[in-house]
Amino acid sequence: MKNDLSLHIPANARWHDILSTESKSSSISFKNNRLHGINEKENSGMGIRLNIDGKTGFSYTNDPDRMAEVTGRAAELAAFGDPEGYDLPKKAEVTFEPYDEAINSYSTAAEIEKGHEMIALLKDRYPDIHADLSISVSSGKTRLENSHGLAEEYRNSYYGFSISATYIPREGSKIDVWDSLSAPSSQSFSHLASVLIEKIEKAEVAVPSESGRLPVIVTPRAFGRLLGIVASGLDARAVFKGISPFKDKMGEKLFHDSFTISDNPLLKNSPFSFPFDDEGVMARNKDLISGGILQNFVTDLKHAERLGIEALGNASRGYASLPAPSFSNIMVPGGTIPYKKLLKEAPRAVLIESFIGLGQSNTLTGEFSANLDLAYLVENGEISGRVKDCMVKGNLFELLKDDIAFSQEREQVGSSLLPALYFPAIDYTA
Amino acid sequence: MKQKQEQLIEEGKKLLAELPCRFAEIRLAATTGTSISLSGDQIDVFTSGDTIGGSVRVLHKGSWGFTSFNDLSSLPAMVKRALEIAEEISSKEVRDIVTMEPIEIHSVTSFQQDFRTISLEEKFDLIKSYNDILKQAEQVQTTRAGYRDSETRYAYLNSEGTCATYDRLFCGISLSSIAKDGALIEPYHESIAGYGGYELVRDKETMAEEVVKTAVDLLKAESMPGGTYDVIADQKLAGVFIHEAFGHLSEADFVHENSQMLDMMKLGREFGSDILTVYDDGNIAGSSGFIPFDDEGVMPKKTPLITRGQLTGRLHSRETAAKMDEEPSGNGRALNAMRKPLVRMTSTYIENGPHSKDEIFNNTDQGVYCCDVIGGQTNLEMFTFSAGYGYEINKGKKGKMFRDIQLSGNVFTTMKNISMIADDRAMFGGLGGCGKGGQGPLPVSFGGPHLLMKDVMIGGRQ
Repeated sequence: MKNDLSLHIPANARWHDILSTESKSSSISFKNNRLHGINEKENSGMGIRLNIDGKTGFSYTNDPDRMAEVTGRAAELAAFGDPEGYDLPKKAEVTFEPYDEAINSYSTAAEIEKGHEMIALLKDRYPDIHADLSISVSSGKTRLENSHGLAEEYRNSYYGFSISATYIPREGSKIDVWDSLSAPSSQSFSHLASVLIEKIEKAEVAVPSESGRLPVIVTPRAFGRLLGIVASGLDARAVFKGISPFKDKMGEKLFHDSFTISDNPLLKNSPFSFPFDDEGVMARNKDLISGGILQNFVTDLKHAERLGIEALGNASRGYASLPAPSFSNIMVPGGTIPYKKLLKEAPRAVLIESFIGLGQSNTLTGEFSANLDLAYLVENGEISGRVKDCMVKGNLFELLKDDIAFSQEREQVGSSLLPALYFPAIDYTA
Repeated sequence: MKQKQEQLIEEGKKLLAELPCRFAEIRLAATTGTSISLSGDQIDVFTSGDTIGGSVRVLHKGSWGFTSFNDLSSLPAMVKRALEIAEEISSKEVRDIVTMEPIEIHSVTSFQQDFRTISLEEKFDLIKSYNDILKQAEQVQTTRAGYRDSETRYAYLNSEGTCATYDRLFCGISLSSIAKDGALIEPYHESIAGYGGYELVRDKETMAEEVVKTAVDLLKAESMPGGTYDVIADQKLAGVFIHEAFGHLSEADFVHENSQMLDMMKLGREFGSDILTVYDDGNIAGSSGFIPFDDEGVMPKKTPLITRGQLTGRLHSRETAAKMDEEPSGNGRALNAMRKPLVRMTSTYIENGPHSKDEIFNNTDQGVYCCDVIGGQTNLEMFTFSAGYGYEINKGKKGKMFRDIQLSGNVFTTMKNISMIADDRAMFGGLGGCGKGGQGPLPVSFGGPHLLMKDVMIGGRQ
């Protein structure tokens, strides 16, 4: 979309910026083992922020015919804004692009074939399995310009694969498993078939378990869900509002020595990386928690000003929204113990693969309570079967102070790279 | 906007008439919206903007092709591309749909007070006045008060000759207070929204007062000990339960190609005792679940999902209905004109039973009264829900307040354990909505009367 918003900027504006995005995407879906359809999507739009008398207004459109109205509307809304004293960056540089040229050689026919192969692999082991697959590809551009002379754009590309499969054993209850991967260009995903099959095989037999305080191991996928509870407290908005448990705790030791979490927007070959953020702040790799000590919050310029901290490139927005703090690639370093050995840490433990209802608890304080969608009983390092109709409950922040241990191996889970995690004791209700 | 859309409709009709395929549809929409979000003393968001979009869906040689776009001048190219995509799939398994008689319908949201005539300043002042109430307690750490309205001009055309338009006005508010005492943080939240005018959001001071009071009361409430309890669910919890735990199971796309699921959801199967009757009804005007026609050009129905305990119906799109040889129910819904329709609920509720609320309480010797819902999730067999708050029941009387109440269990067992149903059904729907297949929040409404559910597991510390 041609951008001529800046033509209408009022003379009294202290600063403005315009973010425009365009993207083209295509996705292939398989439902219940069959090719269901192909979607193609094109979308582009732009949003403008204007700061007048220290207050910011914002408006957006994706309709080329209504561009003139947008600037006027942003100016009108500025009168209602909060005082904001920060300034915009004068310069940003495209040091790299989260883009892989190979995205252009994407072939719909080849991807459909890969989908069929995946389903054949699953059906080979479980003829009655039902799988839904989605293969998507997109590429686009992000362009940012502001009143201080910044005018840069970069390309991005994305390839994503996700699968969920359901199997109902003859005398047993439904087993749901899923997996996904993402990259800047097309990848092979057939290796995930054996991963899913293994999860199902181990869940076919249900075993009884008893309530109590038990050692628990969470897989990287399940750990990713728990980590969301920590992440919400690292968001500068929550800190500013006083609802983050980490407020006023900068530099304090909050967790076990082995727990480090960093946010790295510069990670190579990740579609979640970017050279500068959506306000033009250059992206930086940063530890949020290092050796259990709180080091940084994730912030945009507005909240950096309010908290008196430095913005390190974590503002994110689409064309239709204001910037907000956001994570890029979340990295948790692995530990010293191989995964297989981690399972042997206790003679009897629960291994959690997925939760139901984790986000419903009052997670601001670290409290969580969740039903276990897929979990196993581990006895002497071996999975003896699935545990059903059970819940775990506790305070994650307290649990992370405990004598926890991380696996050496890590897995990509969405935009995170995570190990498995061992907790010595969690309340478990069967 | 109106004139441009009328031109596109005429253009779309011609394109569809010439298309050599089994079925095709064009959807177009233009939306203008305002959004305000305040938190504590801050203005987080105050924006007004507009979006346009459209999509083409074609069923050709047994396969679906779908394109979506925001450059509406590309409509002819997009129609052509959707056909090419369908051709490219050349599926071995042929997909089909139920064909319908064309409909001609032009629906307009009715309202008492047009929010389009209300100034930005007045909208801001209204939500600010609620936010001020939400802050009115010492223990309140922060608040969140949101206002949203949108006007959408929507057009649906298909190759059967249907031309339907809907000028839709939606508005709502959501209010929350977050109370804090030491390390304890208790949020509480309420939302109201629907199709209509500014009257939906005016005069909601009482709602704001109740939100702040509940958040503060929760600080003093005790954490619910784990165990198995007899639970009296209030109308909102009953509504969320039936939407989440049962409603999604009745969406035919979960079962139509899965023989194992189909066995589980066989019509006639007993789902509860003969006091349990459940409907999904897209005709309830004004409610968040109202649709004048669905996003496949099918009129909404009142579908009996459970009748006196037995499974009697399910929700269909044209495709799932064809596959299962049942009637379309008008439940093919898309989040917006750029998304594909999926089988979705509208207004889903448990019908009134024979008892009064007092009778249910008097019949409960020991139990918990669970009110409101923070969230719910299910995997189609097991569910978990967090009640907003609850009270101990001792010999039919409400006792002390509890927080952190997470109910969970097997959907089928719990539905059979609904042993008493009251006669006080209420419907709910807020600014949130239902999510499925990456499309959310889709406006829906849900409700029910007070219910007694026996032997519900509540998670708790040892």
